Amino acid sequence: MNQLMTLVTSATIETLQMVVLSTIFSLLLGLPLGILLCITASEQQGGIIPHPILNQVVGRIVNVLRSFPFIILMILLFPLSRIILGTSIGTTAAIVPLSIAAAPFVARVIESALKEVDPGVVQAAKSMGSTNWQIIHKVLIPEAMPSLVAGITLTIINLIGYSAMAGAIGGGGLGDLAIRYGYQRFRGDVMIASVIVILVLVEVVQVVGDKMVARLMEKR
Amino acid sequence: MQIKLQNLKRSYGDLHAVDGISLTIPSNTIFGIIGKSGAGKSTLVRLISTLEKCDFGEIYFEDTRIDNLKRDDLIAQRRRIGMIFQNFNLFSSRTAGENIAYPMEIQKMNKTDISKRVKELLKLVDLEGREDAPISTLSGGQKQRIAIARALSIKPDILFCDEATSALDPQTTRSILNLIRDIQKKMSLTVVMITHQMEVVRDACEDVAVLDEGKVVEYGKVVDLFSNPQTNVTKEFLANLVDESSQVDDIIRWSEGGLYTLRFKGVHTDEPILSKVSKELDVEFNIRGGGVQNVENLHIGTLLCDISGDKELVSKAVARLREYGIVVEEN
Repeated sequence: MNQLMTLVTSATIETLQMVVLSTIFSLLLGLPLGILLCITASEQQGGIIPHPILNQVVGRIVNVLRSFPFIILMILLFPLSRIILGTSIGTTAAIVPLSIAAAPFVARVIESALKEVDPGVVQAAKSMGSTNWQIIHKVLIPEAMPSLVAGITLTIINLIGYSAMAGAIGGGGLGDLAIRYGYQRFRGDVMIASVIVILVLVEVVQVVGDKMVARLMEKR
Repeated sequence: MQIKLQNLKRSYGDLHAVDGISLTIPSNTIFGIIGKSGAGKSTLVRLISTLEKCDFGEIYFEDTRIDNLKRDDLIAQRRRIGMIFQNFNLFSSRTAGENIAYPMEIQKMNKTDISKRVKELLKLVDLEGREDAPISTLSGGQKQRIAIARALSIKPDILFCDEATSALDPQTTRSILNLIRDIQKKMSLTVVMITHQMEVVRDACEDVAVLDEGKVVEYGKVVDLFSNPQTNVTKEFLANLVDESSQVDDIIRWSEGGLYTLRFKGVHTDEPILSKVSKELDVEFNIRGGGVQNVENLHIGTLLCDISGDKELVSKAVARLREYGIVVEEN
């Protein structure tokens, strides 16, 4: 029992590490991409700096990355971890592929949240002499905030799932624990414990995310 | 500030949305631009407000040409005009007060000046003390008032109203138009009002241009246009003019009671029937309420009254009124 607790606790910490850090990095990568996709869209779609070629190119890259099966992308990206972090095994190494795999997803989530903003409101901001940067950070982002928070919640939940998969190819964390102990050593208790912790994590993130969205909507 | 347009053109593909418009909008007035949907009025206002560039032609504010400005000058120019819209276009992420503050915020005014000005503006639009109200808690009319306050916050020379009353009911429309008229005088604004409602032109504008298929087909004082319309488009607008009084069906009451409802149709409205009957039959009419409705160009007067006097005389009076063609209903 004691051994189980230690195993699960340390694996949970690893998972949390992976999820938190890869969420941050995927947001850092995906947020600018999402904003770029939104503002370079055609004027009819609410773009403030229409640029069809850039929009097409970035959109295609994002689509290609998104259509890759995650497990393949992970394997392809491990050499990159070695270049950036000097290692391709373990929790830290998994953060690179996780972030890059989630970034295109984040980009699309951010893009669609920003595109929900009423084009009339953007036009009003423009008519008052807002610079593009002011439109982005004073209008688009605050107006889209509830959808953005909902999107980020979804991203975190996806990353919890991805991180479990990363465990299968040496990433550490709860997925790794479930496979090495639960599956390969027939430790049913470890398997069940890992799955329960993952379920609880997902549930907690979802509930907190929903609460935040509700709080934001309340003030409008 | 006078606005001068010279041979403006803007097309989208094969569609000539604005097709050679030349117009002088005089300073310090409310100028109406009326047209059916698709007549090019929205494009025109986007061109004049520098939101969109024209393909051809020139736009002057006083003597300054503004249609060929560079990006930074364009932004500086936009900061000197106010604009309100059909759908209000308020920021839902901001409170009423924060909405009004936005144009000042982006111009980096200091915070104390901003909050002082926000309070002034809320007072101007009759919404004192509502600065913390979330936008969703405001009615349509209140939203447009906040939008007006926001547009005026930077003390513009020109206010563009793009179908500003089209989403509002007739009563709210009237109060918004009154507000616009008031502030136009107070702030010596040049107001350009884009609309498809002739009643807006009638109630608020001094001059008007009628737009059809991207061209100005008629242009002049509103009074002249109403008394002597030249084109079919204008005549059509006048024919469809909704007389608001026909929609207002309520009767003004000044006291309780009123056993009888008298309805006067058309021709009878200028005869002193009540006095006649009163003298003739020695009954007294005590008028409790009344109003006039316009139904299909026929004036119908309605009076709520009590008739006092001898019972027999009262019923005689009622019969007499009916003889005069007045509809008498006992309530």
